[in-house]
Amino acid sequence: MSSEHSAQMKTPGKFSSIPRISAIVLAVAGSIFYLAGQFAGAVLILLAGGLYLAGLRLEQGDGGIREAMARWKKILAAPLSGALIAIVIGGIIMLLTGYNPIKAYSALFYGGLVKNWHISVINAAPLIFTGLSVAFAFKAGLFNIGAEGQYYIGAMAAVWLGLILKLPGIISLILVFAFAAALSAAWNLIPALLKVKTGAHEVITTMMLAHTARYLSPIFIRAFGGNPSTSTHPYVTDEILPNNFLPVFKTLFPNANYRLHTGILISIATAFFIQYLLTKTRTGFEIRAIGQNKEAARAQGISIGLNVFRALLIAGALAGLAGVNQVTGLDHKMFENLHANYGWNGISVALLAGGHPIGVVFTSLIWGILDSGGQYMARTTQTPNAIVEIVKGITLFLVVARYISFYLKRYWKRWNMSGGK
Amino acid sequence: MNTQPVILETRKIVKQFPKVLANSDVSIQLHQGEILALLGENGAGKSTLMNILYGLYQPSSGEIYLHGKAVNFRSPREAIENGLGMVHQHFMLVENLTVTENIILGSEPGRGLTIDYAAARRQVKELSERYSLKVNPDSRIEDLSVGLQQRVEILKALYRKASVLILDEPTAVLTPQEVEGFFTVARRLRDDGVSIIIITHKLEEVKAISDRVYILRRGKVAGMRETSTVSKEELATLMVGREVVLTVHRTPHQRGQKPVFELKNLSVQGERGGEALRDVSLSVHPGEVLGIAGVDGNGQTELAEAIMGLRSVAAGKIIHKGELVTGLNTKKRIHRGIGCVPSDRHRHGLVLPMTISENIAMGLHRDKPNARFFSLDYPAMNSSANALIKRFDIRAPGPLTAAEQLSGGNQQKVILAREISRKPSFLLVNQPTRGLDVGAIEYIHSEILRMRDADAGVLLISLELEEIFSLADRILVLYEGQIVKELKPENSSEKEVGLYMMGGGP
Amino acid sequence: MEFFSIFNTQLLVAAVRLGTPIMLAAIGASICERSGVVNIAMEGIMIVGAFVSVTVALYSGSPWLGMLAGVLAGGLYSLLHAFSTVSLHLDHVVSGAVLNVLAFGLTRYLMVLIYGHPGTTDVIPVNLSEYQFAIPLLSRIPVLGPVFFNQTPIVYMSFALVIFFTWFLRKTKIGLHLRAAGEHPMALETIGVSVYKMRYLGVLVSGLACGLAGAYLSIENGASFTEGMSSGKGFIALAAMISGGWNPIGAALFSVFFGFADALQIRFQVFKVLAVPEELFIIFPYIATLAAVAGLVRRSRPPKADGVDFIIERAEG
Repeated sequence: MSSEHSAQMKTPGKFSSIPRISAIVLAVAGSIFYLAGQFAGAVLILLAGGLYLAGLRLEQGDGGIREAMARWKKILAAPLSGALIAIVIGGIIMLLTGYNPIKAYSALFYGGLVKNWHISVINAAPLIFTGLSVAFAFKAGLFNIGAEGQYYIGAMAAVWLGLILKLPGIISLILVFAFAAALSAAWNLIPALLKVKTGAHEVITTMMLAHTARYLSPIFIRAFGGNPSTSTHPYVTDEILPNNFLPVFKTLFPNANYRLHTGILISIATAFFIQYLLTKTRTGFEIRAIGQNKEAARAQGISIGLNVFRALLIAGALAGLAGVNQVTGLDHKMFENLHANYGWNGISVALLAGGHPIGVVFTSLIWGILDSGGQYMARTTQTPNAIVEIVKGITLFLVVARYISFYLKRYWKRWNMSGGK
Repeated sequence: MNTQPVILETRKIVKQFPKVLANSDVSIQLHQGEILALLGENGAGKSTLMNILYGLYQPSSGEIYLHGKAVNFRSPREAIENGLGMVHQHFMLVENLTVTENIILGSEPGRGLTIDYAAARRQVKELSERYSLKVNPDSRIEDLSVGLQQRVEILKALYRKASVLILDEPTAVLTPQEVEGFFTVARRLRDDGVSIIIITHKLEEVKAISDRVYILRRGKVAGMRETSTVSKEELATLMVGREVVLTVHRTPHQRGQKPVFELKNLSVQGERGGEALRDVSLSVHPGEVLGIAGVDGNGQTELAEAIMGLRSVAAGKIIHKGELVTGLNTKKRIHRGIGCVPSDRHRHGLVLPMTISENIAMGLHRDKPNARFFSLDYPAMNSSANALIKRFDIRAPGPLTAAEQLSGGNQQKVILAREISRKPSFLLVNQPTRGLDVGAIEYIHSEILRMRDADAGVLLISLELEEIFSLADRILVLYEGQIVKELKPENSSEKEVGLYMMGGGP
Repeated sequence: MEFFSIFNTQLLVAAVRLGTPIMLAAIGASICERSGVVNIAMEGIMIVGAFVSVTVALYSGSPWLGMLAGVLAGGLYSLLHAFSTVSLHLDHVVSGAVLNVLAFGLTRYLMVLIYGHPGTTDVIPVNLSEYQFAIPLLSRIPVLGPVFFNQTPIVYMSFALVIFFTWFLRKTKIGLHLRAAGEHPMALETIGVSVYKMRYLGVLVSGLACGLAGAYLSIENGASFTEGMSSGKGFIALAAMISGGWNPIGAALFSVFFGFADALQIRFQVFKVLAVPEELFIIFPYIATLAAVAGLVRRSRPPKADGVDFIIERAEG
C-alpha cells in the first residue's frame, strides 16, 4: 500500500482536536469581525489558518498540508485567476474606449473592499443562498435555472408572515425563515413533479415558474399595503414587524454600518451545512450518485424520483432563503419591479464555483465586491458601470472554459505527434 | 503462399495515445482477393489499426501503401474515395432514417443541393440484387434485425465501390446460423474480387473463414500464419502470450433441492410497447448455474430488469426463497440477498466519478457498517473496500481511487466484489465478460463457479455460447421473449442451441 | 367594451406579429438541435442582434442595413457558442447560460459608450414596418389575407424561412447530413462528413435567425433598443421548438400560439374587460409554455445525440 494512501486512511488523532476546535473558533470570530468591517479580524483568520495547518501537520505530516492546499487551490484557483484575467481584459477595453482603467479600478476596489465593504457583504448574502441553490441542484444533475422565482416566493412568504407574527425572542424570526423556505420548496414541487411524471425538463419548467412568480409579486404587493388608489408607482408593501428583523452588526459593533445585517453569517453557515450534507450524509450520497450516473444508482436501489424531489425541494428552499434574507435583513418590505436578479446571478456564482458550496461563498463575495465597487466607481469616476458586467461575463466564460488551455495543449501535442500533419 | 499482388500494406505503424501506446511497429500486407484475419484480444490494438487505415485516426509514425503507392488518409472520406470500406462493430447506422438514406448518406445521388430519392432507391435495389443481399430499401433501421443491419452496413460500403472491406468483429452479435450466412456472403464477395480484412478475437472464426491471419498482441504483430497450417492452440498462445486453457475446469456439484429463485408465468412490457417477455417460467436452485442463451434483443434486458425490480411486471410472479417479491422495489430485493452483475458496467454497474469505496457501499449505504445515523461512515467503508481490493486483486492505488481510473477488467472486479461480498443467495450475472481480456475472463468465470460451489443460485445471461457451455449446469434458450427449450450442456451442442436461438428446432 | 369583441382579425394579426421573433428563434433552434447542439443562448443572441440593428440603422440611416448588420452580429455571436460547445467540448447548457450573461453586459456597456446612458437608445427615423405591403389578390382573402398577406418584411421572411428550412431538412444533402449529426454523429463522421462542420452550421443558422429576430424587435416592431427587450422570448422559442417536435413547421405553429397568448394578454390589459390583475395575463404565456413542455401536447422524440459532445480521438483499445 502506498504511503499517500495510508495518509488518507488515517482517522483524526486525539491531540489534533484541540488546535482544530480553536482554529474554528478563531476563524468564526475573525470572520464576524471582518465582515462587520473590523478589518483587524483578518489577523484572527490568519491565525486560525496557521493553527489549522499546524494541527494538520501534527496529524498527517507534510502530506496532509499539501493535500489541504491542493484542495483549496482546486476550489479557488479557477475563479480567482479567471477574475484576474477578466479584470485585465476589462482594463484593455476601458483603455481602448477612452477611460482610465487605473483610476477606475482603484475606485472599484476601494469602493468594494473598503469604503462600501458593507454593501459588498449585503450583496453577497442573497447570492450565496441562490448560488447554493443552483449548485445543490447541479450535484443531482439538475439545472435549477429558475432560482429567481423561488427567491420571489421566499420574499413574499417572509412579508406575509412577517407582517403578522409576533412571538417572543428569536422564535418568530425562525418561524418566518422556516415558513419562507417551506413555501419556496413547495413552489419547486411543480417542476419536480413534472420532471418525475412527464420528464419535462427542469430548465424550462423552473424558468417559466420564475417568470410566473415574478409577475405574481405585484399582485401580492398591492394586496399587502401597496394600495394603487393612494400610493404611486412603485408599489410597496407595509413594513414587517420589528421583532422579525434580522439582528444588525451595529448592536455589537457600534462602528458597523447600520444596514449591515447578520444574514451573511446565516448564509455562510448554510454553505457549510450544504457541504456537509453533500459529502457526509446518506442523502447527499444518493443525490451525488444520481447526479453522476442515475442508471447505476437506480440499479443499486436508489430512487431517482425521490432524489429529484429532494434536490429540487432543497434547492427551492435555499433560493427562498435568499428572499427571506433580503426582507428580514435589509428591506423589511417588498418593492414592486425590484430587478435584483439574485436568482439569475446565483447561476453565475454557482458556475463560477464549479458547484462547490464553499466555493460559492467566495464567488458570491467576489460578485458582491464587483457590484458595490462598480457603483462606487461609476459615481466617482464616471466610468460606465456596465464594464463590471463585462468583467463578470468574461470571468465566467474563462472559468467555464478552463479546459481551453487543456485542449490547446492537447491539440499542440497531437499536432507534434503526427509530425505536423 | 498467396501469389496475388499486395493491394494494401502498412509499414511500421505507430499510434501513441495520451496514455497508451496502441500500435507499435505494425506492418501487415493484404493481397488482392483474400480474406485476412486480424486476431487479438481486447486492447491489442486491432481497432486502432483499422481506424488508422480508414482515416479516422492519424498514425504517430509509419506509412500506408495502397496499390504500391504511399497514401495518407486524413479523413474517412479520402479512405472511401480510395476504395476502402469499413463495417464497424457498433453499427454506424442512423436508426430513424431508412435503409436507403443510410446507404447513400454522404454520397447522395442528385444534382446540386437536393437528393434524388428515386434514383437512390433504384441504385440500392440494384446493388442488393447484384450481391444477393436482400433488404427492403424503405425500412427504417430501428425496425431491422441485427443481421439485416449488418447487411445494410456491407451495402453501404459496396455502394461506395469498396474494393477493400474491413469488418470489425462481424459475428459478435449474430447467431450461429446468421454467422453461416455471413460467411457465405464474405466468400462470395471475395470471389467477386473484394479483399477483406476481418478483425476478431474468436479463434473459431479465424479457422472458419480466413485465408491468412495476423496475430496482434499489446499493439505489436505477434506473428503471421497461413490459416490452413495453424492450430487453434497455437493461435491462442500467440494471442495471449502464454499457454491458455481453453475451457474452465468445472467440478461436479450437488445442487440444492428447493429452488432459491423462481419466475412463474412472467410477462413484461418492452420499451416500445408490446410484450418483451411472454409467460416465462424458470427456477434456479442453490448451487447451480442456469444459463440463458439467446440472441441480443430477445428479452434479456427486460428479464434482468424485471428480476431486479427496475421494470414493472405485467403478469406473473417472482419468488425468492419461497416468498413473493414481485411487489418489492430494488432496494428491498438487494437487502433480501438478490444480487446483480449488470451487462453494461459503465451505464448500470458503476458511478464512474465516485470512488471504489463509494461504489462498493452503494446499495447498502443506508445500513451498518456503512452508515451511522444520517451520515456515512467513511473510515468503515474504506476499510471494507480495502479488504475487497486485496481479496479480488483489484489493481488500484486504494479505495479512494475513482472507478473511472480503472481498466475494464478491474471495474468488473469492483462490481463482482460488491455483489459477492454481500453473500447473495441468488446472483444474476448478465454478460459478465463482455469486452474483457482472457486473463480477466478466466478470473471472473472462476469466481462465478466459486459462488455456485458456495451454494448460491446463479442465473447467467450471456450472448456468448462458449461462455454458457463452459459455466452453465442447465441451459434455457430465450427466443422472442419466450423460453423455447431447456437443454443439458452435456447432451447438446452449440449448433443445436443456435438453432433454437433462431426460433427453429427439430 | 364587450368581451367577445376583442376576438377579431386584428387579434390574429397581432398574434402573428408578436409570434414572429419567437418563430424565427424557434426555427433556428430546431435546426441547431437537429444538428445536436442545445442552444439556450438565443436570448442573448437576440439582444445582440437587436442592439446592433438599431445602432447601424441609426448611423447609416437605412433600416435595411441595420437588419443585415443585426443578422450578421447574431451569427457572429452564435459562433462563440459553436466554438465553446463543438470545439472546446463545453457543456451546451453552461455555455449558453454564460453567453446570455455576456450579451447583457456587452450591450449595456456599448450602450453607455455609444449613447451615453443605459436604458433605451435613440429612436431610428425610419423603421421596417413602414415597408409593410399587401400581396395583391391574396391579401383580399377574408381573415387569412390580412393576417398572412398584408405584413411587414421580416414577418414575410419568417414565413419563407419556415418553408425553406423544412425543405432543407427533408430534401437536401446537407439537411440529411445535419440530421445524422444530431442522431448518430459517429455514423456521419465514418462516411467522411465532418460532424463539427454540421454542428457549426446548425448553431450558425440559429444565430442568424436570432439576429433577425432581434432586428425585428428593435427596428420593425419597435424603433429603438431597450435593455431586456427580448423579455424571455429566446426561452419561449425553446419551448415552442420542443412543443413543435424539433421541426420548423411545428415550431412555427407553436410560436404563433405563444404570440396569440401574448396578443390576448395585451388586449385584456388594454380593454380591461375582466376585473382581474393584469399580471395574470402576462403570466399566461409562461403557464402555457409550462403546459406545453409538461407533455400536454404531442410527445415527440428529441434527436438522439442532442446536447451530446462529440470527440473522435479517444484512448481506446
